Amino acid sequence: MKHYAMVIDQSRCVGCMACIAACVQENQVPFENFRTRVLEITKGKFPKLRTEFRPELCNHCDNAPCVMACPTGASYKREDGIVMIDRDKCVGCKACIAACPYDARYINEEHGFADKCTFCLHRLKKDLEPACVATCIGKSRIFGDLSDKDSEVSRLLAENESRVRLKAAGTKPRVFYIKRYPTKQIEEV
Amino acid sequence: MEFTITGANAITYPYLHIWDWRVAIYLFLGGLAGGCMSMAAVANLRPDKETPKSQACCWRVPMMTPVILAVGMGFLFLDLQVKQHMYRFYMTLQPLSPMSWGSWILILVFPAMIAFALSTVPESAMDNLKDGMIRNLIIKAQNSMRPLAKLNFLLGILLSIYTGILLSSFMARPLWNSSILPVLFLNSGMSTGAATMILMARRSSVKLFFTKVDIWLIFSEITVLVLLYYGQFTSPEASRESILPFFTLTSQYFPYFISILTLSIVLPLAIILKFLEISSDHSENIELTFKQKFEMNASAVLVLLGGAIIRFALVYAGQLSKFTGLS
Repeated sequence: MKHYAMVIDQSRCVGCMACIAACVQENQVPFENFRTRVLEITKGKFPKLRTEFRPELCNHCDNAPCVMACPTGASYKREDGIVMIDRDKCVGCKACIAACPYDARYINEEHGFADKCTFCLHRLKKDLEPACVATCIGKSRIFGDLSDKDSEVSRLLAENESRVRLKAAGTKPRVFYIKRYPTKQIEEV
Repeated sequence: MEFTITGANAITYPYLHIWDWRVAIYLFLGGLAGGCMSMAAVANLRPDKETPKSQACCWRVPMMTPVILAVGMGFLFLDLQVKQHMYRFYMTLQPLSPMSWGSWILILVFPAMIAFALSTVPESAMDNLKDGMIRNLIIKAQNSMRPLAKLNFLLGILLSIYTGILLSSFMARPLWNSSILPVLFLNSGMSTGAATMILMARRSSVKLFFTKVDIWLIFSEITVLVLLYYGQFTSPEASRESILPFFTLTSQYFPYFISILTLSIVLPLAIILKFLEISSDHSENIELTFKQKFEMNASAVLVLLGGAIIRFALVYAGQLSKFTGLS
């Protein structure tokens, strides 16, 4: 059984927002809603400033609070780790949106149901990468199967120190963040 | 080489605003219905067990309670985005979802509160009823008035506390994610229930009894409210920041600042009015003066207002609170 996960190499993200556009186009995301975003976070005091680009999306948590909060069983976790929404069961109560600590969900105003990133499941079924991964010009987003030890995501997580968002929340996210700076660059810093 | 990146991504930043006045009203009316159930049960259980079942001293509030809850559920229905899928709530029971077992609690509560309401119909009203199914139902219910009152007392507590558990189960919202919140909602629900009893009761002895009850409930409510804020203040950063809107006088947070300011006036004022009220003469034979009636009704209205403010302020402010950062 596959265990899908995404690794995001923040050192390679240039903040071009192409992933957002690709996601909106691929999934026909309604106006003013987004399944993924890139946060531009600037820290420090001028002139010692540091900017970080942090792509964010549904973390497809192993311990998903949205799935637990759903009163109708519309939100569920597939065996391959992808958290999905059964649109026929969704009543639009918004409990899952309140439950998500990552603010990854929204209400599709056109149809009423809750919606979010699906890791582009329809593309995975055709052996294609998620749209955001395929379009990422800096190769910042890497997608793959964690159960395959030879996959790129497994290798990157083995070779690099990784972080997840809000680890203390105990949701066990499947989106991991790494920063692969070349050795020379680290020495200069 | 210098790179300049213009981030036009602010529009993609999440802004949580999912539950509005409809949910706040539902939580208020749900708590009020729970409080009315428990307080009406207390009113009818207080007389001696030897008292004939037909002398149920309080029947208007039990009659109102199903209507209050139905109106509250109506507001919840209005908030649903896919209204035609509402039946899905009752196609499953999700044990980890408070909203799921809450929807089943509402189903359980309705028959119990209607049966209790029927059991309290006074003999004078029975005379106007023709022989038929309703009259037979009332007679059957009247035989079980005391057990129904006990059941309603417990279900009222369950209903009131559920409205708080619904919010407190959301770990993602630091302001709501407090075990004190269900206690506050329970306390507030009971307090508003007692206030409703004061407003609706005709006999001064009943008004006086619930005035005394409400004094303790308001004291308790203020204590729990202070504990909620204190607990948040002494918790990690996200929880501490979650109460900032209530103590920050800026245009953005003005409604929250006003809400806490209003509560700090309304609840103590209600207590003062109630103390003035219980110090008056309320013997059965003395007709209530205008001043006494005003004090009773004004303090009850203040308690209801306080209960509504608590629900509105917490529902809206909770949606401003969130965790941030990577780890």
